[in-house]
Amino acid sequence: MQLTYLEAIRQGIWEEMERDPTVFCLGEDIGIYGGAFKVTDGFIDRFGPERVIDTPIAESAIVGAAFGASLTGMRPVAEFQFMDFIGCAFNQIVNMVAKAHYRWGAPAPLVIRGPSGGNVHGGPFHSQNPEMWFVHAPGLKVVCPASAYDAKGLIKAAIRDNNPVIFFEHKYLYRRIKEEVPAEDYIVPLGKARLAREGRDLSIITYAAMVHVALEAAEILAKEGIDLEVVDLRTVSPLDREAIAQTVRKTSKVILLHEDVRTGGLAGEISAIINEEAFDSLDGPIVRITAQDSPVPFSPPQEEYFLPKASDVVREARKLKAY
Amino acid sequence: MAKKKRTLPKAAVRTGSNGRGHRAPAPPAGKATAAQRTYTILDYRLENPNFNLRQVRTGDEVRYEVQGDLSAPVPPIRESKYLSKQQCIEIYRWMLLNRKMETALENLYKQGKVIGGVYFGLGQEACSCASAYALKPDEWLGPMIRNQGSLLVRGFSARDIMMQYMAKAGSPTKGRDASSHFGDIERRNVVAPISTLGDLIPVLAGVALGARLQGRNIAVMTYIGDGGQSTGVTYEGLNFAAVQDLGLVLFVENNLWGYSTPADMQFRVKDLAERAIAYGIPGVIVDGTDACQVYDAAHEACERARRGEGPTLIEAKMMRMKGHAIHDAAEYVPKPLFEYWRKRDCIARFETFLVNVKKWLSREENLKLIEDVDRELEADRDFAVASPMPEPESAAGGVYCEAGCHEIKPKYGMPKAKMGTAGPKRTEAAVHLK
Repeated sequence: MQLTYLEAIRQGIWEEMERDPTVFCLGEDIGIYGGAFKVTDGFIDRFGPERVIDTPIAESAIVGAAFGASLTGMRPVAEFQFMDFIGCAFNQIVNMVAKAHYRWGAPAPLVIRGPSGGNVHGGPFHSQNPEMWFVHAPGLKVVCPASAYDAKGLIKAAIRDNNPVIFFEHKYLYRRIKEEVPAEDYIVPLGKARLAREGRDLSIITYAAMVHVALEAAEILAKEGIDLEVVDLRTVSPLDREAIAQTVRKTSKVILLHEDVRTGGLAGEISAIINEEAFDSLDGPIVRITAQDSPVPFSPPQEEYFLPKASDVVREARKLKAY
Repeated sequence: MAKKKRTLPKAAVRTGSNGRGHRAPAPPAGKATAAQRTYTILDYRLENPNFNLRQVRTGDEVRYEVQGDLSAPVPPIRESKYLSKQQCIEIYRWMLLNRKMETALENLYKQGKVIGGVYFGLGQEACSCASAYALKPDEWLGPMIRNQGSLLVRGFSARDIMMQYMAKAGSPTKGRDASSHFGDIERRNVVAPISTLGDLIPVLAGVALGARLQGRNIAVMTYIGDGGQSTGVTYEGLNFAAVQDLGLVLFVENNLWGYSTPADMQFRVKDLAERAIAYGIPGVIVDGTDACQVYDAAHEACERARRGEGPTLIEAKMMRMKGHAIHDAAEYVPKPLFEYWRKRDCIARFETFLVNVKKWLSREENLKLIEDVDRELEADRDFAVASPMPEPESAAGGVYCEAGCHEIKPKYGMPKAKMGTAGPKRTEAAVHLK
């Protein structure tokens, strides 16, 4: 079945709600309206207002209530209208939820999901990539799918997981990618990267919308005889250390690419992992391509300047190849 | 039943939260007109203190000064509408255990056996113990730092709490967290608090939501202080519970001090119970030093919760009779306030009520009960002191719930899904990336 990234997520949640009566959704405008991006469109008709709960505009209450329900053995799926607003619930997520299992042995099988990312001219508060706030919080899992197939398989795995999962849906991809997604039940395991493209000359390690930027660059570079390997991390916490080490051992040259800002971004962490796991295999400097250290600007020319592009990848790949 | 009808705007001079009259200017006198709505706050108290605190400069020093009448006679314990003799004695015993355990902890601290600080609920034992006593075993509670009495009532032992304070391997969190920061989702249905204030409120609301999805309306109880209620999440959580008609019983423990800041500097309403009006839920005031009032209000709120009618806000007025924690000598508290509230000590008054007024306990029985509590505590303390510290390596692991460590299953039964027949929507036209 051909599904968009958004439809794949919708179908994933839908199937889990069909399969397991302990799964329910809560969030702002998710019921009759179907969510700001329509991910839960039609859910309330099928599953009823008991399991598709429109909440007040109160992110801490949404996360707190989801956590409380999870303590009784429910599997809540909490929607954030934009992941930028997750800062409002930061304390609940990082102090209440993430630490629960370590501190007092309470599992928190809940999912916090919503749209993140730029390139849609959303400005500073509707375009951010706040995944690193949560990668830095032990106890959480953080997922950033890049394809429709993965989005469905990962949301299903996230709902079934016994830990709190923050699920970042890239809003630029929602309706821009469409691909064949199997109708049968499947999951994509959390914590496992995939090879989005096999190559032998150099590796790009990336995730979410930047996977598509890397693939676009790979096509251009292929014409020049530079063969790029693209690793799609899929889950950014816990990281697939083995997949990272493996691609570096194979190509010896690596570019780390992400849409998040540079300082404290995931590239720094991956770079440290490469040092620890595959330093001897390196045959060139580890290159970072990221957004600049600033808020996400609104105006299209400014946002284009801000975001990493295929041309950035092509330029850096040429340099690294020649190193 | 003391039913106090309040009309807003109100002509009477506003007396304080635990007595305070200095702030709100008296609105123009007159009867409520058709355009003015009236709200009811149920007030169980047998006294209405009239004093307030303010900052005054004396020479080079700024300090708190109490103004008003502190000479009022001590009120009796209000007879409970619901509690039997046996139940009153049980609550009294919990209160004694609560206080004596904290005294033991204070001594252990002085002996250098406690790691970090000790937080006391001195003066608040009636509120902790009698409130938790209103819950059924399969209902839930989320304590705050001073609600160690609530934890005892929920089935944790003094040993558990003392081991938490001593960071022992056998503590409920196996050394990983301190004080009242522990819980139990299997048996005692207690949510572990975190240090930030108000965060338990939406969580307990969520527990009630989870139970309701499984077909049960349960009562869930948590606490917030006069200081903690200033946080945004307090509003978010209580409002969520109100909108969803969830069975939250929120005790607002107005103990007059948030660390060193008096209640008068935390909020402007006269009584925190008035906040209930703005949430559209019942608001009740009780004397937090009167176990019977606390229980009755809690019981009625729990019954309302079990009927699926939604949350209740109960303001319990009392005073924190120690500093914020053991390091804090509370020198900022005007001495006359301590004297005023010491006379209203919840345990001494309850004891008088049981022994002298109701004659439900003979002097001998009372002494025996006290000895029993002492003996229990001594055994628990000795066990806790002798128990080992955790191995350093036990700091590792357990960050995630890994395969097999917990089975997630609905606590009150599998939810019965009422489903429509609609299928998933497929409306979008895709725009391809390339």
